[in-house]
Amino acid sequence: MIAGCREMVPVLLGTMPFGFVAGVVAIASGLTPWQGLALSLFSFSGIAQLVTCQLVAARAPVPVVVAGAAVVSLRFLMYSAALAPHLTHLDRRWRALLAFLMTDQSFVSSVKRYSEPGDTGARHWHFLGSALTLYVFWQAAVIVGIVLGAQVPASWSLDFAVVLTFIALLVPAVRTRADLAAAIVASAVALATAGLPYRLALVVASIAGIGVGLAIERLHARRP
Amino acid sequence: MSTWLAIALVSAAAFALRAAFIVFADPHRFPHAFRQALKFVPPAVLAAIVALGLGFPEGHVDVSPHNLRLIAGLVAIVAALLLRGSTIGTIGIGMAALWALQWLT
Repeated sequence: MIAGCREMVPVLLGTMPFGFVAGVVAIASGLTPWQGLALSLFSFSGIAQLVTCQLVAARAPVPVVVAGAAVVSLRFLMYSAALAPHLTHLDRRWRALLAFLMTDQSFVSSVKRYSEPGDTGARHWHFLGSALTLYVFWQAAVIVGIVLGAQVPASWSLDFAVVLTFIALLVPAVRTRADLAAAIVASAVALATAGLPYRLALVVASIAGIGVGLAIERLHARRP
Repeated sequence: MSTWLAIALVSAAAFALRAAFIVFADPHRFPHAFRQALKFVPPAVLAAIVALGLGFPEGHVDVSPHNLRLIAGLVAIVAALLLRGSTIGTIGIGMAALWALQWLT
């Protein structure tokens, strides 16, 4: 468990500014401090938090807010499927706890741990260590952002840090040509449909990008 | 009130997606085509968010050199490529680029 905590130290350097920004953005989007805190404590997903804030600020109806946050959280399904086989020996409460705490970073760290040789029966403690460390520090960073958010002058353009965080996540996520095509098509469609109400452009563009990525991968697979 | 409802439903959705296979379903019944499609969720969704953030800053599409956020964003993309996706480095260079451009214009 301690090893899991320790492994998160370099990761914290990257996620704490992100958490701070998530707190600032919650306030800037018109959420009350308690709403910003509740969103962070219960959803525990920076990207879902930011998208929720953006959509609430755009006065989107509740179903659109939930759809937007769900689309950007679909990757959790993939992580869930990948981790599930390692956790079948645990009882339901343990599995629910680990699922609740799972993030991009703790997923990567625990998958690495599970792929190492040796007895895997106790590795959920490593998972819990890394996930819990992230949870505590993330919430602390969000609270600092919520408290200081109102005092940051608008001329600092701190909201731009959110886009920059997404760039830092996007660039390593593009590994293959099909990924690149999905990203380019999604960007183009997003700008072409940007005028749609309630930021529906995000949903339309994501589906278009996923479709093109799949099509290109199929074409590649067929070639000898 | 509707903001609280949105917060509750977003949190429930985030947990349901994380718990889908760990707590509820058998991952072996996960259809292959769906798994393939999920691979493209991060590049497509993140690119759409970035494109809207850079090219649609004040409620209208602006892909001209006058759009300082677009220029600073492109600088940040190059920085992220060189820094292999370091979050701190990308935020630092992108913010520095935007502030420099705002100061120059």
